[in-house]
Amino acid sequence: MSLTRNRFNLFLSLACLVGYGWLALVSQLKPEEVGKRYDACLIRHFAHIPCPSCGSTRSVLALMHGDLIGGLYWNPLGFVIIATLIVAPFWIGYDLLLNKETLYRFFRLFEKTLRRKWVAIPVILLLLLNWGWNISKGV
Amino acid sequence: MDAQNVDMFLMANAKFLEDHQIFHIRERLLAMDETNWKMLQFMQFNDPVILLIVSLVTGPLAVDRFMLGDIGLGVAKLLTCGGLGIWVLIDWIMIMGITRRKNTEKLMMAIY
Repeated sequence: MSLTRNRFNLFLSLACLVGYGWLALVSQLKPEEVGKRYDACLIRHFAHIPCPSCGSTRSVLALMHGDLIGGLYWNPLGFVIIATLIVAPFWIGYDLLLNKETLYRFFRLFEKTLRRKWVAIPVILLLLLNWGWNISKGV
Repeated sequence: MDAQNVDMFLMANAKFLEDHQIFHIRERLLAMDETNWKMLQFMQFNDPVILLIVSLVTGPLAVDRFMLGDIGLGVAKLLTCGGLGIWVLIDWIMIMGITRRKNTEKLMMAIY
C-alpha cells in the first residue's frame, strides 16, 4: 500500500482540511493565547519543553493578520505551513481537473532532494537551531 | 536456492516481514538462483519493535517516519507537532505493520 498519487492527494486534502479546521477553531484568539488554551503538542504536554514546530499555529495566525515579524518570532516554520495551506488546494484542484500529477511529482522530487546529505544536514541543523530557539523563548 | 538456506533466512527474518507474504516469499526464494544467497544474507531490515519504541519516545519529532524512509510524510508530521498529536497516536498503533510492509516491499524489490 505505497503512497500513490491519489492517496497522496487524498492525504494532503485531509491534512489541509484539518489545518483549516484547526485555524477556524483558534482564529478568534490572539496568537499569544493559543498555546495557553489549546495544547496539541504531546512533547510540551508531557516533557514541558516545546517541540521544533511549537508556535506554528501562533505564527500562522500572526501571518494571517499581516504580522510578518510576529510570524517569524513565533516559529519560522509557520511560513512553510501557511504557504502549503494556500497553495496545496489549488495545486490539487489543478491536477484533478487536468488529470495530471505535477504535485505528486514535486513531492517525490522534494523527498529525493532531502535524501541528499548536503541538503539534509543543513536542514536538520536549521531545525535543531529553531528547536533551541523555541526552547529558549519558552513558546 | 537451497531449501535449508531459504528456511534459515525466513526463520531469522520472518518477524520483520508481513505474515501473509511469507509463503509467497518462500516459493520465490526457492525458485531463485543460488548466487542470490549472499545478497539476501546482507539485507538489512527495520525492526518493528525498535520502530515502535522510537515512535513512542519521539513520535512528534517524526524520527520513526524518517527511519522508514518516508521523508515527505516525516516532514509533514514534524511540521504539525505530529499531526496535532492525532497522527502520533495513529502511528503508535500502525507503525509495526507499516515497518513490516516496508520490509516486505524492500525484499520483494530485491527478489523480483
